[in-house]
Amino acid sequence: MSETIRISIDGKVMAAQPGDSILQTRLHGPDAVTANIGCMGQGVCGSCRCLVRKAGERDTVSRLACETVVEDGMQVSFIDYYQPDHVHHYRPHDLRDGWQTLPQLQQTFPETAHCRHCGGCDRACPRGIPVQQGIALASRGELPAAAALFDPCIMCNLCTLACPENIRPNHVGLYLRRAQAIQNLRPGELLRRLDQQARGQLAIDTTAYLARSSS
Amino acid sequence: MEKLNQVLLNPAVQVGPDLAAWLHAGGGLGLQAALGAPSAIIRCIADADLRGMGGAGFPAWRKWEATANAVGDCKYVVCNGNEDEPGTFKDRTLLSASPHQVVEGALIAALAVRARCLIFYLNPHQDSSLHTMQQAVSQWQDSPWLDKLSHALGHPLDIKVVASSGRYIGGEETAVVASLEAGFPFPRKKPPFPAEQGINNQPTLINNVETLANVSHILRHGAGWYRALGVGKACGTKLYSLSGDVLRPGLYELPMGSSLQELVFHYGGGMLQGKAFKAVFTGGPSNTLLTARDLDVALDFDSVWLRHSRLGTGAMIVISEGSSIIRKVAEYIDFFAKGSCGQCPSCKCGTFQLARLLDRVDGGRHSPADLDALQHLCQILPGSGRCGLIDGAVTVVKSSLHTFPEEYGLLVQQTA
Amino acid sequence: MNAAIEYQQASQNRASHATPPRRADDLSVAALLAQYHPDHAADASTLLHIGPSRGQPCHPRLAQLLQSNALIDGFDLAGAEQRSTDVLVLGGGGAGAAAALTAARSGAAVMLASKLRLGDSNTVMAEGGIQAALAASDSPQQHFDDAMRGGHHAADPQLLAQLASDAPGVIRWLIELGMHFDLADPLSDGGKLRYKQAGGCSQPRILCYRDYTGLEMMRVLRETVELEPGIQLLNRCPVVELLSHQDGSCAGAVLYDLEYQRFIVVSARQTILATGGCGQLHLQGFPTSNHYGATADGLVLAYRLGAQLRDMDAFQYHPTGVAWPPRLRGGLISEAARSAGALLLNGLGERFVDELAPRDVVTAAMLRECAAGRGIERDGQLGLFLDLRPLCGPGLPTLASQLPALQHLADKCGIDPTRDPLLVYPTLHYQNGGVVIDSQGQSSVPGLLCAGEITGGIHGRNRLMGNALLDILAFGRRAGRQAARQAQAARNKSSLPHLRGGIEHVYRWQRQLALAGLDASQPAPLLYPGQARLTLHRPASARA
Ligand SMILES: Cc1cc2nc3c(=O)[nH]c(=O)nc-3n(C[C@H](O)[C@H](O)[C@H](O)COP(=O)(O)OP(=O)(O)OC[C@H]3O[C@@H](n4cnc5c(N)ncnc54)[C@H](O)[C@@H]3O)c2cc1C
Ligand SMILES: Cc1cc2nc3c(=O)[nH]c(=O)nc-3n(C[C@H](O)[C@H](O)[C@H](O)COP(=O)(O)O)c2cc1C
Ligand code: SF4
Ligand code: SF4
Ligand code: SF4
Ligand code: FES
Repeated sequence: MSETIRISIDGKVMAAQPGDSILQTRLHGPDAVTANIGCMGQGVCGSCRCLVRKAGERDTVSRLACETVVEDGMQVSFIDYYQPDHVHHYRPHDLRDGWQTLPQLQQTFPETAHCRHCGGCDRACPRGIPVQQGIALASRGELPAAAALFDPCIMCNLCTLACPENIRPNHVGLYLRRAQAIQNLRPGELLRRLDQQARGQLAIDTTAYLARSSS
Repeated sequence: MEKLNQVLLNPAVQVGPDLAAWLHAGGGLGLQAALGAPSAIIRCIADADLRGMGGAGFPAWRKWEATANAVGDCKYVVCNGNEDEPGTFKDRTLLSASPHQVVEGALIAALAVRARCLIFYLNPHQDSSLHTMQQAVSQWQDSPWLDKLSHALGHPLDIKVVASSGRYIGGEETAVVASLEAGFPFPRKKPPFPAEQGINNQPTLINNVETLANVSHILRHGAGWYRALGVGKACGTKLYSLSGDVLRPGLYELPMGSSLQELVFHYGGGMLQGKAFKAVFTGGPSNTLLTARDLDVALDFDSVWLRHSRLGTGAMIVISEGSSIIRKVAEYIDFFAKGSCGQCPSCKCGTFQLARLLDRVDGGRHSPADLDALQHLCQILPGSGRCGLIDGAVTVVKSSLHTFPEEYGLLVQQTA
Repeated sequence: MNAAIEYQQASQNRASHATPPRRADDLSVAALLAQYHPDHAADASTLLHIGPSRGQPCHPRLAQLLQSNALIDGFDLAGAEQRSTDVLVLGGGGAGAAAALTAARSGAAVMLASKLRLGDSNTVMAEGGIQAALAASDSPQQHFDDAMRGGHHAADPQLLAQLASDAPGVIRWLIELGMHFDLADPLSDGGKLRYKQAGGCSQPRILCYRDYTGLEMMRVLRETVELEPGIQLLNRCPVVELLSHQDGSCAGAVLYDLEYQRFIVVSARQTILATGGCGQLHLQGFPTSNHYGATADGLVLAYRLGAQLRDMDAFQYHPTGVAWPPRLRGGLISEAARSAGALLLNGLGERFVDELAPRDVVTAAMLRECAAGRGIERDGQLGLFLDLRPLCGPGLPTLASQLPALQHLADKCGIDPTRDPLLVYPTLHYQNGGVVIDSQGQSSVPGLLCAGEITGGIHGRNRLMGNALLDILAFGRRAGRQAARQAQAARNKSSLPHLRGGIEHVYRWQRQLALAGLDASQPAPLLYPGQARLTLHRPASARA
């Protein structure tokens, strides 16, 4: 007989099989699951944020439930999606001018300069991204280096929730990455293809395949 | 004898920053006694059973002794006047109305632990206390008292008045240390305790303003006098910050161990509009609620502890029948969430989730699962932070769930 | 379970060959598909009894949902909050985001409602990439031809031609929003794009961002939507029913707001359904690669309102779903792995199919191996080996740098890809068919447009890698533009507030159900696939 593991999720004790994820276990519970779930194991949607405390440990840490394997006695509380009341808006075309990226960053994310180096963001990140360093680089104007750090970010918003200065680090990272693409990517082959199409070239013959497939 | 305002709030000592007036009112006699027998100070404080008035009620002499015994060539004494908790307004009153009793107490403490540096760490948002203290301190610096003190210590005593960050978290003792090392007031892991390793790794004694304010009186009148002020086993007096739905909110100095009933109904003038007493947030927003059943409790550290709550800072926020406990608790959780220093994700994320759930309950749109989730958070958060902020936040939620389950719809649901 | 070769034994068999031998094919492609593809199983198809596509084949499980009762009745609308908008977009994946952004940029007031959080969708999970014929050697025509062949010539040629022609414009749009693509050479030519090979394609045409293309796409789209003032975003508000006017046209939708546990009635001039696919129905008992919200909700509602469907018996079972460990069962291993050289091996250590054949062929071949007892069993899970060693040879960049998501997955499986193979088994991946649309995304119901995986006809009966991400954006944008245009036209015609709709169509539907003798006790859409069903909270007073 396989051993059964017991964990408690948001106050409900549930049985789990060794090797199951927290998220899988939660689906066997008594309530319909309507939030904190998306990709179910791929670990890319960032919706399954939770706090986890292992049996006998003091530390309570933030995790992705779909990527965390159950252990007996684990206690899990899910965390809602956090969106700050107030954010500065920007539009993609505001990012076109590379000379403006830094001043605009300072306007759009003025809090970036207030980092108090608490390290909460680093500890919160389930992807192990050195978030704090990213913010430090960004406020020093080292934008490509800062952008690169956020490459694997899944936008779970845990760092945004963790940050006491309301810096919204992952959104800063995304802003920088977007600015990079918007300003630098002009692939020649794409330009040529768009130009050909604009001249009415390369129309598709939708019947040719019939001839080919019958031959 | 009238029980109200016998010592710290005694009208005779509300002399403002004028040192001469303080000396005229009997000031200096405590320091005089201390200078006479420096090695007996800690014994005297211990005999008086002076407690830490900053919230924990920890016997003051134990910290003094630890600091005195710790090895260090530049020990510190810090007077913690960061006071920023909802419902507590005692330290600012002492600092602005009778600053010298605080300074004199701090000087005696510095003598007892053989400090080289004394720092008054004050909340800049309370403009008048900072200003008054600066005036008060400079008068001591120019007085012969300081020479006598340096002589007794064998080295000069450096005195500073420092503005804190004004953040709530800046009052936690390790955060005080961090702040005075010129950083952000991040709480640190304990141990080591500041008495062993505080500012710049030097032994550091940190006491609350009210704690230190009592010291000169104890040295002057003796431990026995102080003990006799209290009710029953409790010693001395306590400043109670009374607020909420009472007729006469305000700051009251009463014998330590006076009853809640007496404070609310006699001194506070009873409930506003004659409503029934429902509950009181004892010692500020981070402790267990007491209810009408507890009106007889003696307001001293040990008696309140026996009711599974804490006297804390002596704040008493009274709630009348008809007011929502959940609303109040939700407000406090918001306060803690905003005050979290950010180091521990469990604290920021946990207070956020507590706030979300309380908001749902308060808005009447919660499901039974939300209540389970709320209770569950109360289990996994305590102890997970580097400081006590998160524990305090959980305590008040837990206590409101325990004491007023019907407000959360918990009983209703069970009978349905 | 069929007889299978035990994992240890299979590992030894694999180790015994330096280069795995290729087993000769014993069947023609047509016969292979007919015998082994899940779509062709005896119990994989039935005929629809009622509704606009009555008489057409459909998977029985889906047919059951399509021919079911509504979740709500007239009472539920009584006390509900009323809102109105020009364009209502339902679904928060790539198609919904593209439609909402385009409609908003075209000047419409837009509301976007999603069941989960915006972006928690199939789109964010896409790994492999997106097709666009950009290379000088390539052309939209070749793109079209490949997709037509891959879809077994069942695609609507008009739609497919639009798909291929729209591709360059879609890539430009994505770059303008700030999406990155992998580059072959970052320094030359404004960034020379890297093209990857996809199964069934005549040449490399896949653009990607590492192996999390969908994540890169969705995080950019989500941020743009969240910051777009013209879009009102409603997270956790699934659509539970559509609204109709007297003339049968669509009048908006009824949402259920999970945070406030109440219904919201949204009157809209134009409604765009972009609720994605149905992987969570686990058709034919297969695991799925799809996200939690893929429960065919939009299909059910569109059909009830009178929209025609097509190819509802054609599904894509992706060859490489995770088979072990059970925790990750069904999770996708991108075709990018095979595209980069990974091999499929049976329990004898043999290759048995061209790894880059169209997906339906590879899947059928895998199921044939399992049926013939050449599958591999590990801890009760049946599968085949996906050998990653060809990707990890000396001199090659590390797997973590080439395909970070695959390395991450291998880590989660506790597998060292330079040594151990992954155990894989086909997984229900994509709904090929869906709502019939015209070139602007218009369904057969006036006022109702559809975009994304919910639609049918673009890909025929099988889709090639990289054409779904293209389809959701190409047609999402078309639908958004068209809806904005129509809403504008309606506004120009009459400045009166638009008429409120009702649920007459539901009553008509219930009549049809009863007359056809169908079971009306099981309501749909499902909304959430877990065991526990959500109870919609209804104010007691409205019912009394
Ligand atoms: C693992 C995986 C990998 C893939 N890889 C690729 C690839 O490499 N290349 C490629 O081209 N394609 C790929 N695909 C396919 C492609 O990602 C999808 O077909 C496409 O993203 C579908 O987009 P969509 O917007 O139509 O649906 P989705 O992205 O699924 O979005 C649907 C949205 O509607 C919401 N919704 C559902 N029901 C309701 C309701 N009742 N009310 C409101 N909202 C609702 C859902 O929650 C979701 O947010 C992949 C798919 C998967 C699952
Ligand atoms: C979050 C938090 C905030 C605190 N704020 C204050 C404060 O503002 N003033 C204060 O005197 N003590 C405060 N304390 C208590 C101190 O940590 C410390 O115990 C006290 O200053 C010691 O003085 P005492 O022993 O005289 O009470 C706080 C504690 C915590 C956990
Ligand atoms: S950087 Fe922030 S949003 Fe991104 S994965 Fe880490 S915690 Fe989540
Ligand atoms: S959480 Fe915010 S303040 Fe703290 S280190 Fe990170 S970015 Fe800085
Ligand atoms: S518990 Fe909260 S306030 Fe205390 S150190 Fe941790 S984050 Fe800071
Ligand atoms: S469910 Fe998507 S990251 Fe966990």
